[in-house]
Amino acid sequence: MQGVNSFEILYRYRDQFLGGLKTTLLLCAIIWPAGILVGGVLGVAGARWKNLVGRPSRTLSFVLSGIPILVFLFWLHYPLQYALNIVINPFYTAAAALAIVNTLLVADLIRGVLNDFPTQYLEAAKVCGLSSRTTILRIQLPIIFRQVIPPILNTQVAMLQATLFASLISVDEIFRIAQRINSEIYRPVEIYTSLAILFLIVCLPLHGLAEWLRLRFTRNLSER
Amino acid sequence: MLSGKGISKAFGKTSVLRDVDVEVHPGEITVVIGPSGSGKSTMLRALSLLGPPDTGSITIDDRVFEFPLHNPVVRNAPWPEVTVVFQQLFLWPHLTLRQNIDLPAAENRPARSCADIQELVEEFELEPFIGRYPNEVSLGQRQRAALVRAIALKPRYLLLDEITSALDIEHVSKVLNRLEKLQKENTGILVITHLIGFARRSADRVLFLENGQVLASGDPSLLVSPDNERLRKFLSLVENAV
Repeated sequence: MQGVNSFEILYRYRDQFLGGLKTTLLLCAIIWPAGILVGGVLGVAGARWKNLVGRPSRTLSFVLSGIPILVFLFWLHYPLQYALNIVINPFYTAAAALAIVNTLLVADLIRGVLNDFPTQYLEAAKVCGLSSRTTILRIQLPIIFRQVIPPILNTQVAMLQATLFASLISVDEIFRIAQRINSEIYRPVEIYTSLAILFLIVCLPLHGLAEWLRLRFTRNLSER
Repeated sequence: MLSGKGISKAFGKTSVLRDVDVEVHPGEITVVIGPSGSGKSTMLRALSLLGPPDTGSITIDDRVFEFPLHNPVVRNAPWPEVTVVFQQLFLWPHLTLRQNIDLPAAENRPARSCADIQELVEEFELEPFIGRYPNEVSLGQRQRAALVRAIALKPRYLLLDEITSALDIEHVSKVLNRLEKLQKENTGILVITHLIGFARRSADRVLFLENGQVLASGDPSLLVSPDNERLRKFLSLVENAV
């Protein structure tokens, strides 16, 4: 294995890497939609019912933000399952833990954008005689979407990177595969660089899309 | 007639309007002057029912709104029959200036015709940047667009809050000429402004507000020979500043 580079390692172990990437993307296929949908509903509900939903959700998110994802995942997998005397496939534990984190992050984002929505635009709509339907569809939702979509995309990229922690509870995602290959050939620099290349291929387009959406659609709301 | 009788409003313990009477007649221009923080914008918001007063009554033609309201939501609100151009214009940031003007006009009939709106766009020299977004044009250009958005709705009463503050002399003159045209079309206009010359020339009634109270009101001759000492001082300060 003397003199191999990251691309050669990627090629040589492509089946293992692709298997790991598939598991990672499967995790994302659960945590992304779950986080966006449930977080979206929770965020809207939190902005609408500030005390009933907003405050508990904010508190939960605040507490969870102080706990490393790694530890949260560990708690859910080992002590909790031991306490409940059940055994769950670690893939589902990881999916559930990361979906909870994603849900709370998305809910925070959406609640924040809704709470900070400049009500003056709604007043302008009122005095211009716009109906409630037109105000929601043509004024409120487009402004909210423009503000919220780029940070949500960035959060999803962060969640994709957080799937690496699933290796702690033995999920055969891409990081665990990389570790396994490393234990065979001991080329950590090249192997983890290969991993970085794979992540760049997936993350960069998402980051680029978020940035493009931000530049193209978000507007200065300050009127300065 | 659009009128407010005995309107008072407080924010917490701070009283912002105290027993203010104001009238805007169709086909007439009411000019409100006064120092910053005197309650002019709050009065305008109260009259338009956007920021309803705590006490008093607002009458819009045959509709009377008595305050305090039993229900906190104003029902049968008069918009856009009464419309407002705010000091901070609040053009919708995701729509171009053209869309900002066309969306309300399309939703409200009878608004002005497309040809009339185009005439307004040309009169206020918006054409070269009408396809741009509000954050891509200057404050003065936004002020003109916000004014066209309101005029396009053909309101019966038009309430304007310092809408010429960022305009050059040429455009101020165009705006004021348009207001005089609207007056002839029987639109009732209330203008908050520091343009004392305009008030003297075109106003039908003038209100001087300070500390939330009307200190002087009457026809524009009030501005020529004020008998209120505070108004006299205010006018001399404004005129020296110009």
